[in-house]
Amino acid sequence: MAALRSQPLVAPDPPAELARPPLILNRRGTAWISGKVSGIAEGRAPRWWWAAFLPSAGLTALCFAMIAYLVSTGIGVWGLDCTVGWAWDITNFVFWIGIGHAGTLISAILFLLRQPWRTSISRAAEAMTLFAVICAAIFPVIHLGRPWDCWWLFPIPNANAIWPQFRSPLTWDVFAISTYFVVSLMFWYVGMIPDLATLRDRARTRARKLVYGLLAMGWTGSIRHWRHYEKACLLLAGLSTPLVLSVHSIVSFDFAASLLPGWHTTIFPPYFVAGAIFSGMAMVLTLLIPIRTLCGLEDVITVLHIDRMGKVLLAAGSMVGYAYAIEWFTARYSGSPHEIFAWENRAFGPYAWAYWTMLACNAISPQLLWLRRVRRSMAAVFLLSIAVNVGMWLERFVIIVTSLHRDFLPSSWSYFRPTLVDIGTLAGSLGLFLTLFLLFIRFLPMIAMAEIKGAAARSGARAHGDPDPPGGLSG
Amino acid sequence: MKNDAPARPAPWKEPRYWRSLDELARTPPFQEWLQGEFPDGAQALEHPVSRRRFLEIMSASFLLAGLGLGGAGCRRPEEAILPFARIPEGYDHGVAEYYATAMPVRGSAIPLLVKTHEGRPVKIEGNPLHPQGRTGTDAFAQASILNLYDPDRLRRFTRQGQAVAPAAAIDFLASQAREWAERRGSGLAILEGRASSPSRERIERLLRRRYPEARWYIHEPIDLQIARASAAMALGQPLAPAYRMDLARRIVSFDADLLGTEEDAHRWIHQHARGRQLDDDGRDPARLYVLESLMTLTGANADHRLRLEPARIPAAAARLWWEVHRQAGWAADEESAALRALANSYADPNSWCAECARDLVESRGQCLVVAGHRQPMAVHLAAWSLNHRLGNIGRTVHVRPAPAAAEKEGLPELAASLRAGQVEALVILDGNPAYTAPADLDWRSAQRMARTVIRLAASEDETSAACDWQIPALHFLESWGDARTGDGTVTSVQPLIQPLFGGASGKDGGWTDLEFLARIGGLEEQRPREIVRQTIRELAGSGDAVRQWRQYLHDGFLAGSAPAPASPAWQPGAALECWHSAAGSLAAQAASPGLQVVFHRDYSVDDGRYINNGWLQEMPDPITKLTWENAILISPRTARLHKLAHFDRIEIALRGRTVEGPVWIQPGMADNTLGLALGYGRERTGRVGAGSGYNAYRLRTAAALHADTGAQIRLVRRPGKKDRIACTQDHGALEGRPIVREASLDQFRADPGLASGAMRIEAHRPPAASLYSHPPLTGLHQWGMAVDLNACVGCSACVLACQSENNVPIVGRGQVARGREMHWLRIDRYYAGPPDRPLDEQGDDPQVVFQPMMCQQCEHAPCEYVCPVNATVHDEEGLNVMAYNRCVGTRYCANNCPYKVRRFNFFDYHRRPLDRLYRGPLAPKAPDERDLIQWARNPDVTVRMRGVMEKCTYCVQRIQQAKIARKIAAGISGDIRVPDGAIVPACAEACPAEAIVFGDLSDPNSRVSVLRRQARCYRALEFLDVRPRTSYLARIRNPNSRMPDWHEHPWSLEDALRRREGGRPGQAEPAGRPEGGG
Repeated sequence: MAALRSQPLVAPDPPAELARPPLILNRRGTAWISGKVSGIAEGRAPRWWWAAFLPSAGLTALCFAMIAYLVSTGIGVWGLDCTVGWAWDITNFVFWIGIGHAGTLISAILFLLRQPWRTSISRAAEAMTLFAVICAAIFPVIHLGRPWDCWWLFPIPNANAIWPQFRSPLTWDVFAISTYFVVSLMFWYVGMIPDLATLRDRARTRARKLVYGLLAMGWTGSIRHWRHYEKACLLLAGLSTPLVLSVHSIVSFDFAASLLPGWHTTIFPPYFVAGAIFSGMAMVLTLLIPIRTLCGLEDVITVLHIDRMGKVLLAAGSMVGYAYAIEWFTARYSGSPHEIFAWENRAFGPYAWAYWTMLACNAISPQLLWLRRVRRSMAAVFLLSIAVNVGMWLERFVIIVTSLHRDFLPSSWSYFRPTLVDIGTLAGSLGLFLTLFLLFIRFLPMIAMAEIKGAAARSGARAHGDPDPPGGLSG
Repeated sequence: MKNDAPARPAPWKEPRYWRSLDELARTPPFQEWLQGEFPDGAQALEHPVSRRRFLEIMSASFLLAGLGLGGAGCRRPEEAILPFARIPEGYDHGVAEYYATAMPVRGSAIPLLVKTHEGRPVKIEGNPLHPQGRTGTDAFAQASILNLYDPDRLRRFTRQGQAVAPAAAIDFLASQAREWAERRGSGLAILEGRASSPSRERIERLLRRRYPEARWYIHEPIDLQIARASAAMALGQPLAPAYRMDLARRIVSFDADLLGTEEDAHRWIHQHARGRQLDDDGRDPARLYVLESLMTLTGANADHRLRLEPARIPAAAARLWWEVHRQAGWAADEESAALRALANSYADPNSWCAECARDLVESRGQCLVVAGHRQPMAVHLAAWSLNHRLGNIGRTVHVRPAPAAAEKEGLPELAASLRAGQVEALVILDGNPAYTAPADLDWRSAQRMARTVIRLAASEDETSAACDWQIPALHFLESWGDARTGDGTVTSVQPLIQPLFGGASGKDGGWTDLEFLARIGGLEEQRPREIVRQTIRELAGSGDAVRQWRQYLHDGFLAGSAPAPASPAWQPGAALECWHSAAGSLAAQAASPGLQVVFHRDYSVDDGRYINNGWLQEMPDPITKLTWENAILISPRTARLHKLAHFDRIEIALRGRTVEGPVWIQPGMADNTLGLALGYGRERTGRVGAGSGYNAYRLRTAAALHADTGAQIRLVRRPGKKDRIACTQDHGALEGRPIVREASLDQFRADPGLASGAMRIEAHRPPAASLYSHPPLTGLHQWGMAVDLNACVGCSACVLACQSENNVPIVGRGQVARGREMHWLRIDRYYAGPPDRPLDEQGDDPQVVFQPMMCQQCEHAPCEYVCPVNATVHDEEGLNVMAYNRCVGTRYCANNCPYKVRRFNFFDYHRRPLDRLYRGPLAPKAPDERDLIQWARNPDVTVRMRGVMEKCTYCVQRIQQAKIARKIAAGISGDIRVPDGAIVPACAEACPAEAIVFGDLSDPNSRVSVLRRQARCYRALEFLDVRPRTSYLARIRNPNSRMPDWHEHPWSLEDALRRREGGRPGQAEPAGRPEGGG
């Protein structure tokens, strides 16, 4: 040890062209980061927040009103029929679950892959994940004919001595989603503890002190705390990583395990995971691009971040596009007239409008991201992310409804039309999602301050030739 | 103690099953108890009452009312349930009883066996003992149970629209009868419909004697009597024809919808199915030729079909007559001369008539020619002439003497005498003339010309407005009466329940037609039961009257009362006269310009009498699959010509009158023709029937009751969102999918496995067994079903039987339009056109196939493994059973069902008010209607609440009952195997064609096992490896290779083969190749 100390190892600076770009711009120091991020949660709510919150809260109220109407009257207030048993309900469910993939992907997989740029966006993405899963979890419950009996899907010992049916993909869903929610929540919360402690320490009112104090769970920043914290994060990241892949695979089994042409496809698990990452990334972009400006976080969530997320979007979009092509190929290659018909009906049947819009949004529009200029244009990326959100919602709609509405017996073919309640429930769930997210940025540390300080300092130090970075997370 | 429940009369020495409530109610202890109930009961309630005493009183009241608390829901019902404190002797709670009765229909009746539960009739079956044989029932009979419990029935005696006590009506009629008797009935006009009741005939004779100057009129909006009238004309005496479609090898129909809208259609369907059977002895199935304008059920089942504008059918019929005459080499005579001009006005462009005639000539004595009720007398006489000349009378068409119909005039004559002020009192016995009368009579104003109008009415309707007195008519299930079935057998009509709205005694609930007539006539005997008894005594002749009466009620008919077939001689005189007088006008009509119009009887609401029956309203029309309304049917070619699309609202102008309705483009319709179903568009009716369809009667004139010419149409508007028609089947093409399989007879004889094996779709069946090891099916019985598509004509009686048996709710028009009809059993109807023709022309002359589709009870059921809560599971006897209580309603099972036979309760349909959608538990409820409708429910079957999935389970309740009965009968012998045929599901029981066969597959000799071994047996979508327990027997067409529209393959098969890669028609694979072949 002594020998090592006597000859300090100095890594040579990389040449300028290989230097990593800084994660935090303008050489912002740790105090600035603490002040900036905590400030969002501390000061008076800005006007834009209220302007966003009030409509969102209104939509949330609409969501609950729609659910109340639905539960009191019956599923028939939606536009479903005996042929199309699932439509917007499950579309919304898969859509929200898909969005719920970005957070864990960013926090867990990028964490394990040692991608420090993730720190700027991970907290918000994780929060978004939780809120999306909450929105998603509403739909499997309210889409039931008798939602008050939804607990029968859980393996709860009961007087009837009837257990759930473990062959059903819906039962797998219950486990997959509840596990995913619990692990994501823990990951999010554990990661937030140091920042909650920061907020606690900065709190001026007694109530804030109390609440953040409770939430911070006695965090002192001791080396023991840091050590446990690091271990927990690593373990949770390890736990979450397979979940990112498994949850949407299992959701895809809802379709793949059936025998319906257009659903019964082995490509669904990877296809759904790619789609989920795609839509999740798009939703992160949709949320963060405006927030970055509104909260003045351009130095933390830099163009570089947006650029990299654009690249992920491009990769995922291309995978999804590949899946669309393969769907066509397998349908033709199968030689089964029903499979071929299912594909042709998607592309040229009554829902062709949905199919081609989906294709344009998901497979074609992301190709613009090959251009660096597009990736670095906030407006362009924002618009693209919206397109992808729309496209991914439509993708689920296309998969679910076009397969169902024309299946084996032509006598039962029908055409699904949504009702106002369908539309209201979707809009309401969007409102709920935004409301939760707005509350989150208002009351909780939106950026992982502790992590970003370390990462920024390190990368910033490297960039500026400082051989001995102060502190650090993974030291 | 006075409040004891009445003891039932001492058991009779001999079996006496057919006991009525009325009989029960006349026993002295019952009467005594009845009289004493209220004072005593009231007294008892004033005093401190013990709980036990209270229960006694309440249970006795429940017994009295005959109220069964059936219909327990998935959840615990809210109503208080009180058990019997004392159970009447000989009464097994929950065990159904069956009574024979009959449903009178126009000039005939349908013999029935009605199941009652706790004194409530709940299900209607055909009477298998009846000499007509086990001919099932029709949809109207199945649905008539709902008419009984219709809350919109007329419940009160009214005078000038105000309710009066029944006694007032009795007094009024008694005084009137005295007055009329004094004046020998002058000024009295009696308007009735067709009826076949011998008692009514007898009462009428008595009335005629008492009121010799009274005038009798008859009005039947859709009169099917012409078959009899033409027989009388052709053969010179009152006769009723009966066809033997089972014996006829060649059948030609001149617009006769024998399988649908003609009288006794269920009988003809039964015979048709027999005639189409493919026997092992190599007998070929019958061949059916149809000339028609509409696409009817008969046309849909025809081997060759010639569609013609209505005005050209007489000419084509004459042409066919002429061709038969020519090819048979008969000498020219007066008849040929009389028909020559008419025959020449139809050119027979593709020698359809000539080849059809050749086939007839070649099968003399084994063919049958029938004309339909829409055709003029000349066509009927031509048919009789052909039958006579081809030697069919006595072989394929029988005639039996019918009671000579008394002279009665029609509605136009009545309207004229009303306007002339000759009618002082008008008595309306049946029908609703203000709605059904020809438009040119202006009946409503005519009816007001009578000083007094007295009417026996089933409901408040259009005619009620101009009635002074209205007497509620009893439903036939509440009535004493009688009727003659189509074969002339006198059949009993006996009440199964006290009149529903008549209070405790049932006296004030209404009158039967017999009682009404007897009171009009002031007869001494006014009790309908006694009237019928007297009639039966007269008809039965000598013998033990009591015994005969009892036997009559037990069996439901008077044995040997059908007259023997007569063999009268052909009398050409009347025919010649008719042809001479009609030929000119018919030929002129055939050439008339403008669109032609056909007014037709509706498959769902008849002539409008069933408008308030939700089951019938929601029954998809067998051809169009429309529900809840009628449309203007128009051929694809004519629609293109007038640039019309589905649902366009158009206005028809005919002889200065107009009517507006939606367009329905009907494949197979005659061009240049509009089909207008009668019976809809009522102005005044119950809550169910209000606002459905348009009223085609408004275009109908007395001179052209069935068809008219010279109509103009005008587009009113393109359809809006609200104009969507509630149709249960949007798509009519098979898309080349061999779901319904058919072959022509020659192909089938050459290659019996064609239909089942060589369609080759099964190539996609997985080669190996599934990865999942399914639990073995170890039950003693293994249930299965076979549906013979060759027998099924699509009549839809099964759909309603299933609805009635299984408490299937009606959902209403808006929900059907949303695709949420609840029928567990539906009949899919597909069209197949010539695939080598452009798409535009494929709908011109399509072939039609029907396929009853219900849960197939897959052994590897795809619905089961996807249910997360085990709500749908397999039982060890191979049934895919539903645990409604367990269902949470994910609908995954329905999504994964390839047959789409699962039905979801999107709302609480059973709790909804009659005329609205269910609006949640807090919505106001109508006070009484639900209770009444609940009485129609079958207590053996759970009533499902909202949010659960439901489906057919082969009538599992009947299976369980039969198994329990068998176990009891087996005793210690342990022989608990249910014999074949002991279980008949509701659909099979109602099916007139016996197309549905249910039984035990583990018994190799059961009927269903035998059918499954037939070469033409296949299973729908078998390549999915779901292993359905229901199999289908392919349909075999029997086309005539010399006909112009002959084609080697049926078009559906042709289409399937063309779409199959490499599979060219005629290159089908050899027979016997196992399906799939891996």
